[in-house]
Amino acid sequence: MATISSAPSARRAMLSDRRARIEASPLRHLDVLLIAAVIGTAGLGLLMVYSATRNTVRGDPLHYVRRQGVFVFVGVLLMAAVMAVDYRKLRDLSVLVYGGLIFGLLAVLSPVGSRSKGTQGWFQLPGGFQLQPSEFAKFALVIAVAGYCYQHRGDLDAWRLTVAVSLAVVPIGLVMLQPDLGSAMVMALIVIAILAVAGLRGRQMIVLLALAATGIFAVVNLGVLKQYQVDRLTSFLNQGGDKKRATYNVDQSKTAVANGQLTGRGLFHGTQTQLGFVPEQRTDFIFTVVGEELGFLGGATLLALFAIIVWRTWRTARLAGDFFGTLVCVGFLAMFTFQIFENVGMTMGIMPITGLPLPFMSYGGSSVIAYFACIGLIASIHMRRFA
Amino acid sequence: MSSSDRRHASEANPRVRLSVIGIVVMALFCTLLARLWFLQAGAGQKLAAVATRNSVRIVQTPGLRGRLLDDKGRVLAQNRVENAILVDRKITPQNLKLVVARLAFMLQVPPASIEKRLNDKRISPYRPVPVATGVSIDAITVIKEHQQDFPGVEADQIPIRSYPGGSLGAHVLGYTGEVSDAELKQQRDAHYQLGETVGKSGAEQMFESELRGKPQIDKIEVDSRGKPLRTVDERPAGPGHDVQLTIDLDIQQTAEQTLADAMRQARGLRDASAKSGSGRFAAPAGSVVVLNAQDGSVVAMASNPTYDPNEFLNGIPTDQFKALNDPANHFPLIDRAVQGQYAPGSTWKTFSAIAALDAGVTSPGRVINDNGSIKVGGFTFHNAGGTRNGAISLQKALTVSSDVYFYTLGADFWGRFHRGDTTTGYAIQNSARTYGFGQPTDVGLDGEAAGRIPDEAFKKDFNKNQPNPRVKAENSIWLPGDSVNLAVGQGDLLVTPLQLARGYAAFANGGELLTPRLASQIRDYDSPTVVRDLAPHTLASTHLDPAARSAILAGLEGVPRTGTAAQPFKGFPFDKVSIAGKTGTAEVNNKSTTSLFVGIMPTDNPQYVVAAVVEEAGFGSAVAAPIVRTILEKLAGLAPSNPLVAAPKAID
Repeated sequence: MATISSAPSARRAMLSDRRARIEASPLRHLDVLLIAAVIGTAGLGLLMVYSATRNTVRGDPLHYVRRQGVFVFVGVLLMAAVMAVDYRKLRDLSVLVYGGLIFGLLAVLSPVGSRSKGTQGWFQLPGGFQLQPSEFAKFALVIAVAGYCYQHRGDLDAWRLTVAVSLAVVPIGLVMLQPDLGSAMVMALIVIAILAVAGLRGRQMIVLLALAATGIFAVVNLGVLKQYQVDRLTSFLNQGGDKKRATYNVDQSKTAVANGQLTGRGLFHGTQTQLGFVPEQRTDFIFTVVGEELGFLGGATLLALFAIIVWRTWRTARLAGDFFGTLVCVGFLAMFTFQIFENVGMTMGIMPITGLPLPFMSYGGSSVIAYFACIGLIASIHMRRFA
Repeated sequence: MSSSDRRHASEANPRVRLSVIGIVVMALFCTLLARLWFLQAGAGQKLAAVATRNSVRIVQTPGLRGRLLDDKGRVLAQNRVENAILVDRKITPQNLKLVVARLAFMLQVPPASIEKRLNDKRISPYRPVPVATGVSIDAITVIKEHQQDFPGVEADQIPIRSYPGGSLGAHVLGYTGEVSDAELKQQRDAHYQLGETVGKSGAEQMFESELRGKPQIDKIEVDSRGKPLRTVDERPAGPGHDVQLTIDLDIQQTAEQTLADAMRQARGLRDASAKSGSGRFAAPAGSVVVLNAQDGSVVAMASNPTYDPNEFLNGIPTDQFKALNDPANHFPLIDRAVQGQYAPGSTWKTFSAIAALDAGVTSPGRVINDNGSIKVGGFTFHNAGGTRNGAISLQKALTVSSDVYFYTLGADFWGRFHRGDTTTGYAIQNSARTYGFGQPTDVGLDGEAAGRIPDEAFKKDFNKNQPNPRVKAENSIWLPGDSVNLAVGQGDLLVTPLQLARGYAAFANGGELLTPRLASQIRDYDSPTVVRDLAPHTLASTHLDPAARSAILAGLEGVPRTGTAAQPFKGFPFDKVSIAGKTGTAEVNNKSTTSLFVGIMPTDNPQYVVAAVVEEAGFGSAVAAPIVRTILEKLAGLAPSNPLVAAPKAID
């Protein structure tokens, strides 16, 4: 009888298969789809940065895209390096990572850091490059909070929760002092997502969300931000209204996206883009280039690439070999999702304007390199899910 | 719950929560996709248009305006090329200041006047501004030779509208000016630009769409700072069409000259009625219409006082504008041929006769005894001057202009009206309407008056605001005197000179009411190529009975020979050119009489109708008839007899 005789052999085959998987090089379990989606997005990002900046530096249309190319290259190298390391080592080093995080954020607020566009959030590096620690802070915060929650898995009582939240509040507060409200919001969301999956009870969750909401309210209303920052933040609530200066960004941005129509104006043919109507286009408003020049088809394709990245991250969270891996993936999942939704939503007028970059698309070294590191860590977790 | 159970639940928790997070993430992505679709495929059309407007500026340079020509192709309105100095506003402020100072010194004008033009918002910022026109060739040479001292300044030749005849035909030609806000709003589809030239009156306004040049349209792409980058698209300018008017320059000139002469002469005549303070006629205004009786073409149309449309070119100077609107100057801008409304006086008898014959109230053979006066409804009506004409027929009544004959007809009409036969009772009114009175002729000129045909309904309407109910009731009734007055062209009746000429044309040509025609052809600019013919237009038939026509015409033929106009037509070669006509001396409240004359030529197969009307100038035979004679002589190619020189005798 085939069914009786086949059962044990199938079981045997499965066991040997599992053993084979564990013994094989982790590279065999590389998430090719994730890496491909990330590289594809970064490639599209380079093209869009080129389109947005080819007219801005006289005599050197490649000025920005060359630099962004270097960032992507460094990012890919860093991603490979992170992938090569077993993520569980980071788990054991999470206290150290946390320490580095606090140190970096304190240093940038000191005279060592420099100020740009009203934010004390940069280190000036040789060669005209700048390092923005808040981008790496997100990476570090994920490891620190995930590490703490992993250690106290299943016993996340009120005391430990308070400790976890306090761990998070210190770097968030430091980022807010810069002030970089966008990054602070991302970091808060990362912490809430990790805690939620780590076993936060419903009541605690409500308290936490209320705390976060109070925090944002306090920042907006208690004079931490400059008035123009508040105006920009709230302008999406009254578009086309009388605060023309405040809504200028979002009006021009929406116009650019709408100008793309279904198939786009064609690469390098978007009038809003090429003639410089959209402010901050190579950084925060890079999505408008996609929207205007490549149209709905291009915009939907980019959203699909992002969806693949987020889906693979979510999938890795489910498949992870240990709970630390799951929590790290959840943290990055929250980070990517929030930044994509906030950034793309902002260019289309459904979210407030905050200075959050679009992952892998926006021009900027720190963010690109930091996000590649995040992907490296996710890939590392995916690769070692059987180990 | 046991502790192992709790541990179990907590184990299951992350997977459930992870799923919840997955659903939330999916919802967020769907939101973005939906918003993207909404913006780009749904409501985005309007915003996409905004993007185009954002980056493309349209710069319009007007094309050459078409010319106005007379019937023989002679130029009435054209574009004169004039030297102009233009300044590019895009140069640096320092250079601009320098240039303004130098230009002001060179042209001997205050710098403020140049700055005013430079700051004129109506001129596109992408076009150089003409700061001075009509500049001497010396100034142009200086600028060209010292171009480095005048950055952004160019000397160019720009077209200026010009009317070579000066005031000749001013009211027919009209004038041009900068488009007004109201016109911009009205003509939204025509895409006029602020500062562009449009026809403001006369043929310039009437044929605006033909005359206007096709503007050059440059679509210029600009960046977010408004800096021009490149020309995306350009459509070259094209000239407008030439319009050939039906006006004959020679006849127009004769008409205007003789009208002016007659008015001057009238002012030297003693005014027996002494209604004007000086004891002489005021003759402040008048007009002449020469119509082609067969097709309704306006051969000449004059209105006096007049003006020079060349003065309107660069906006009219304030003192001249004041002068044009000063009552002492009798409002030269009014075209009295179509805007002036007058009691037609005895010239109306032609239409009374047509109505009376048509209604059977009289016949050519009926004889009425004219004792110089008649009593109707308790009032006695006298002939002008108290003349007794004895027993007269219709023909004779027209020739000698017997009021009593027509008073009698008027009384007859009122009798019919009183007995309830309103059709016959209102025969004059109804007939007048078929001859085009009481409504604008639709010649196409702006502000044309409708005239007025009185009847009981009119009287009711006219007195509807009368506060005294007794007076209101009395004034609202159609009385015998109304019919009597109407029969001799008095009372509340009003006609325009063009209406009068057209009515006579309809009589002369056998009963075809024509729409007066001011232009015959639309042509390509400065080319014989005809774009479109403007055909004559017959509005309606007046159903004129040929027998009635010949009876009346016989009476009118007698007028210049032996009748009321025998004096001014003394010596006219009737054997060569047979003519007919009718004098009119219309009573006006508190003013001297209006002098009218309408002539028809030739009487067999009439070609021309000439109507002359001069306000406050006395008898029709004294002032208006000589005008018409002079024009008829010109039309017939006869030697001018200067009838104005002959001392006029006061008869009507």
